[in-house]
Amino acid sequence: MDQKRLFLAIAISIAILLGFQLLVRPNLPHTMQPQVAADVPAPAAKLDPGKTAVPGEVAQAAVPKDVPRLKIVAPGVTGSISLLGARIDDIVLNHYRETLEPNSPLVRLLEPRSDAQPYYVQYGWSSATGSNVKLPDSDTVWTASGDTLGAGKPVTLTWDNGAGVTFELALSIDDNYMFSVRQGVRNATAAPVSLFPWSRIRRDYKPELAGYSVLFEGMLGVVGGTLQETTYDAAKSKSEKQQDNPDPSLRDVAFSGQGVGGWAGITDKYWLTALVPDQTVASTVRFLFVGGGDHYQVDYKTDEPQTIAPGGNAGLESHMFSGAKVVRLLDTYQDRYNIPHFDKAVDFGWFYFLTKPIFYALDWLNDHIGNFGLAILVFTVFVKLLFFPLANYSYRSMSRMKLLGPKMTALREQFKDNPQELQKRTMGLYKEEKINPASGCLPMLVQIPVFFSLYKVILITIEMRHAPFFGWIRDLSAVDPTNLFNLFGLIPINPAAISPFLHMGIWPLIMGVTMFLQQKLNPPPPDPVQARIFQFMPIIFTFMMANFPAGLVIYWSWNNTLSVCQQWLIQRRTKLPKPNLART
Amino acid sequence: MTTPAAMLGIGAVKVYQYTLRGFIGPNCRFCPSCSDYAVDAFRAHGALRGGAMAGWRILRCNPWNEGGYDPVEDVKTETAAQTGQD
Repeated sequence: MDQKRLFLAIAISIAILLGFQLLVRPNLPHTMQPQVAADVPAPAAKLDPGKTAVPGEVAQAAVPKDVPRLKIVAPGVTGSISLLGARIDDIVLNHYRETLEPNSPLVRLLEPRSDAQPYYVQYGWSSATGSNVKLPDSDTVWTASGDTLGAGKPVTLTWDNGAGVTFELALSIDDNYMFSVRQGVRNATAAPVSLFPWSRIRRDYKPELAGYSVLFEGMLGVVGGTLQETTYDAAKSKSEKQQDNPDPSLRDVAFSGQGVGGWAGITDKYWLTALVPDQTVASTVRFLFVGGGDHYQVDYKTDEPQTIAPGGNAGLESHMFSGAKVVRLLDTYQDRYNIPHFDKAVDFGWFYFLTKPIFYALDWLNDHIGNFGLAILVFTVFVKLLFFPLANYSYRSMSRMKLLGPKMTALREQFKDNPQELQKRTMGLYKEEKINPASGCLPMLVQIPVFFSLYKVILITIEMRHAPFFGWIRDLSAVDPTNLFNLFGLIPINPAAISPFLHMGIWPLIMGVTMFLQQKLNPPPPDPVQARIFQFMPIIFTFMMANFPAGLVIYWSWNNTLSVCQQWLIQRRTKLPKPNLART
Repeated sequence: MTTPAAMLGIGAVKVYQYTLRGFIGPNCRFCPSCSDYAVDAFRAHGALRGGAMAGWRILRCNPWNEGGYDPVEDVKTETAAQTGQD
């Protein structure tokens, strides 16, 4: 029996270790790295191995490199729009660099098809059945009304189909990351024209994921008031399962939903590209995985066609966001354009009612203290104060129980074959020694969501990105750069390159020590196998946390330190009451 | 006979017992503790009923409840415990 439990315990420990190695990847890239081609398979390799491809006859070869472009120069972003096919395919974020180095390249969010990581937004029309209007397509060359799109400097792209219908894309951009787009059609023919305006985001590669189980990355949107999320892998497997569908138009669809308004896009840990349709028009949104390589698409199409009378014109207004997920900014857009739940582009999760207020509190502290790491520490103190009476209560009874250790061991020895009697005797002993039972499991359980939410906010928030702490921590969102296994830099090798387990920074070590101390203050678990496993838990946790962002490790260390101090003080003051004295 | 769903529940509780329990310390007012009770409940009554029993036990494990000896025995004892609450 004991043997069996020991094996179970070992199996669970190994499962946890392996599980975390899969979940937590070392040296997580927190930015997109458009210029680094190493991780990106060459275009030829992207072709589906099932399809026989003639070398050189690659789709990429058809992509012209030097296309006419309209420049974008705005306070938040710089870039350009390809006039070939009217693609917004070049967006660089002016305020975010890839790494901490002062000359590091700026983060490039959207990229043309001719580059390594194609990612772009496109607008167009499809015709209603029975209509044969010549429509602009991906090879259409549009004419721009100006040479630069900037804040307060709108530009209109125009294309005349040569048969009396003129298509227009009126573009403007604000000081941050929001584009306004009006898809207009002028009908100079003698017959009415019926068209469905559509918009799409296309990402022709699967990005490097940050890869945390509590962080969503992929295609997402709010449809009919509900947040929908489809990861890259889920979209791929869904689409692959549907390849036998008799209706070819459904084969690639990983998600499809109808609604009025909403928004949808593709999100990274810190960046988002999203389409915001006209909030009064019913439309259908789809998340697609298009095979033959990693092609992901989010698109909108109106449910009813727009009919443009002869000599008339009609248009559809929408917005497009492409930039950093700064929560205050998302809030502002949400209010300004009535976009439902736009702030949920940040993965606040199930505990939204806790995570969002916690974010505001941290953000406020950060504004006033000027250091996000310190803001985390101060906020943790507040949370601890909130739960102070509860924790004190249970620490007190815990300390008394610890003093009872020898008596408990004797009882356990005496009734080891009769667990029921042992339990009865234990309760009897507590009564005899006048130990108040602990505050209970429920109060403990309600604290867990709060600490989980704090953990989650620290992990997902862009404010932690490239934010320094003291000493060697220059980026709270990155792994502690020091490594015990090369003696903190004395040996010029990088052991983490061999295995992610060979990275152990100073902060994770500090956290391990605080964890060890905290464990020492608690009574050992009754089960001897569990007790043995527990001795290894601080070590296992230390290795697990070693590859987490430094900000999180600092938070855990500080949280443990506060708990240990509180518990230690109480333990010093606690003595067993004399059992046979009447209460005075 | 333990169903796969009940096994999953037991597994989750065991993971908690081997990891978190050592750090947050024992807080339970009952004997056996809520997590041991949950394992027994899953074993004896399956995932749904056992899970509900475990949930109810945790809800009862608060400062306004006496606590004490409260094992999973048979259905009769469980209902007795429920009506005995408050």
